[in-house]
Amino acid sequence: MKKLLIGICMLSPVWLFAQGFQVNLQGQKQQAMGAAGVATNLDAASVFYNPGSVSHLEGNSVSAGVSLTSGSTAFRDGNSQQQYHTISPISTPFTGYGVWGPKDSKFKFGMGIYTPFGSTITYPNGWSGRYTITELKLLSVFFQPTVSYKINDKLGIGAGFVYGYGHIELSRDLPIANSNGQTSTANLTGTAGGMGYNLGVYYKPSDKLSFGISYRSEVKMKLNNGTATFNVPPSLATSFPSGGFSASIPLPQVLTVGVGVKPTEKLLLTFDANFIGWSSYKSLAFDYDQNTSSLKDTESPRNYKNTYALRLGGQYTLSDKFQVRAGINFEKTPIKDGYVTPEVPDADRLNYTAGIGYKPIDKLSIDASFSYINFMKRTDTNIETNMSGTYKTRILVPGLSLTYNF
Amino acid sequence: MKKYTHILYTLAVCGSIVACKPTVEEPAVNKGSLDVSTYVAVGNSITSGYADNALYYDGQQVSYAKLISEQFARIGAGEFKQPLVDPTSVGIGASGGAKLILAPHADCLGNTSLAPVPAATSGDLSIFASNIYASSGPFNNMGVPGAKSITTIYPGYGNPANGFGNFNPFFTRMASNPASASMLSDAMLQSPTFFTLFIGSNDVLLYALAGGASDAITPTAGAAGTGFDASMDAIVATLTSGGAKGAIANVPDITSVPYFTTVPYNGLVLTSQLQVDGLNAAYAPLGITFHLGQNPFIIADAAAPGGKRQITSSEFVLLSVPQDSLKCKQWGSVKAIPNAYVLTASEISNIQTAVSNYNTKIKNLAATYGLAFVDVNKFLTQVETGVVYNGVTLSTTFVSGGAFSLDGVHLTPIGNAMLANEFLKAINATYGSTLPLVDATKYSGVKFP
Repeated sequence: MKKLLIGICMLSPVWLFAQGFQVNLQGQKQQAMGAAGVATNLDAASVFYNPGSVSHLEGNSVSAGVSLTSGSTAFRDGNSQQQYHTISPISTPFTGYGVWGPKDSKFKFGMGIYTPFGSTITYPNGWSGRYTITELKLLSVFFQPTVSYKINDKLGIGAGFVYGYGHIELSRDLPIANSNGQTSTANLTGTAGGMGYNLGVYYKPSDKLSFGISYRSEVKMKLNNGTATFNVPPSLATSFPSGGFSASIPLPQVLTVGVGVKPTEKLLLTFDANFIGWSSYKSLAFDYDQNTSSLKDTESPRNYKNTYALRLGGQYTLSDKFQVRAGINFEKTPIKDGYVTPEVPDADRLNYTAGIGYKPIDKLSIDASFSYINFMKRTDTNIETNMSGTYKTRILVPGLSLTYNF
Repeated sequence: MKKYTHILYTLAVCGSIVACKPTVEEPAVNKGSLDVSTYVAVGNSITSGYADNALYYDGQQVSYAKLISEQFARIGAGEFKQPLVDPTSVGIGASGGAKLILAPHADCLGNTSLAPVPAATSGDLSIFASNIYASSGPFNNMGVPGAKSITTIYPGYGNPANGFGNFNPFFTRMASNPASASMLSDAMLQSPTFFTLFIGSNDVLLYALAGGASDAITPTAGAAGTGFDASMDAIVATLTSGGAKGAIANVPDITSVPYFTTVPYNGLVLTSQLQVDGLNAAYAPLGITFHLGQNPFIIADAAAPGGKRQITSSEFVLLSVPQDSLKCKQWGSVKAIPNAYVLTASEISNIQTAVSNYNTKIKNLAATYGLAFVDVNKFLTQVETGVVYNGVTLSTTFVSGGAFSLDGVHLTPIGNAMLANEFLKAINATYGSTLPLVDATKYSGVKFP
């Protein structure tokens, strides 16, 4: 099962998402509500949003969801004023959750499979930044077995162990021409693994009010068996030996606090604040197993800063069968001026969301969401590469999930 | 369920095509006070696109002047004609050779490594065989390999009747009338509305390339055609006489190009005590001692006792020095490296003083005539320490530095693009234009087999 899922992920990499390369697509109901969900227990996606609230879910359930992300970045080169658009296949980050507990037990057990970080970005052939990046595919899948304990009707705690699996593929051109004037290429690919945990506390003092706090630890993704492939003129083949390399990328810790309010029986409002510890991402380093005078280890400064996101969402219950949802969030970029790269052309962003829930029968719910993510236009000159220009990104994400309750 | 999936896919696909394709608006391209309807570039080999020790088609196509003209097309430039040679030709250099290419080369010791070698045993003499003015002139690119400030105003600079060595065959093939035309007069025949002027390097370079053993540094003083200052006065006064605006570039410190900096001064590597003892014995009368490892080369110097001395760390052995003579014929150790392959401290000082004087004059001319001033000298010092453009690092290191072609003096395509951008930046700053720069990443450095 694990292998199969990984296989699917590899075929459907995740579009660059949310701050840095953090992806916030872990549950259709929550996505529709501005991706706020730490203080609610709407469904099994609480395994991700707040393991503490899992114990307060009614019954058992399994769910599967998928988001179809499509987006594009426009880059206008500050020197030549030429504009380039990224090539963006629709990608499909997915979720799978299961929650089960013995009847009348205070324990609930959960399993979550989700993609918290990822990015696929492909620039057109011959674009002006091709010596910095032509394509980046970064994907992570987290597996999170979880246990949640209901201390009483008002309080729940939970903890999950996180195993992260990652795949990275990075390609760029090298400014070395062959006898026909064609440039050389470098391709770095490999898989990475890392571990962490996800803790949560859920407190519901009344039917009208709930609070949540969750802490997802940093997961250091270590890549030790990468493959570097260089396509260079034959006379330089020994200077650029294809072979192994190692690298590591920290996926940051996230602390989330939130509140849920029910002004009326039919209306639920949620508010989350995320504090994201991106400052651990200092540099992107590649350590080649075999160095030559032409092929040296590289260390590119990233120096991300800690950042935050604010999320507001609402759900209105129309009938036993229908619910409508909407939300908005603001995500502050972790990338300082001077450090924007075409591999992660990040900027502050506003995300507008909406969705519906439909229960054709009591045991089944179908939830759909739609997100429109609008990045602020950002002009920057990178301190390492001198890449200068203006980036503008927009992403649309429709998504769908099915939940079966038993 | 199927229906929902269908709707979602439709949304996603529409989204990616319509709403999701963002745009960053292009800043307006303003011409400012420029009129580039007739752009003429006056200069030397760098302006002509000469590279890899030859004038050849691919180099001409990426001359900085041609690249500037392509940006000028955004604000109404006319056609920019160049005296192109045949695309399949190996080209021809100032001393008659073909262009250089990187290829495996076996040295006298039998070691094979990549080295610049001529693409053919001889240059393409057919390039000099006929005058192409009538068929494809007049030429906006008036860059002539070998031209100096003083020769720019010589009437009959391309006149074969002057005799071998006294006329410039590169000009002969492109002049309106080789017997009487000067580069300047042919430039003016076109009534330029805008010009670039990058001349003066050869006024010191030809002396430097010959190790100070031949040619002469153009003096600053003297009448037009003899002295640098008066010649430049005449050139700029004439080019601006019809109201043309222009950009004028100063002269780089040519001693920082790879031709001078590649061969290490202490390249005499002694690996056995026997060699050391032998040289110590031979040079004892001159008081020169040797040791294991790297030693300064022995160079010829008429002023030194015995006519020989060790080279100092601030002096240069030129790229033209025959490598096999260093490796197998005891040049630089038992035999002194001849003067033609060495720039001594006093020669370097002569060159740098001249460059400094030239640049004072050029800066004054730019100010007097309100021309865009292109500080190529400053730019070259930046390249010396390495400049980064969109992730590409360029330096003055020979071959791997990417900026200089295989002759160690002239530029690679990307080097030309970077130079064109220096001109464009100065032009924008002076004339209030907002011309986009050349995307230098579209151009290559040295080509590897």
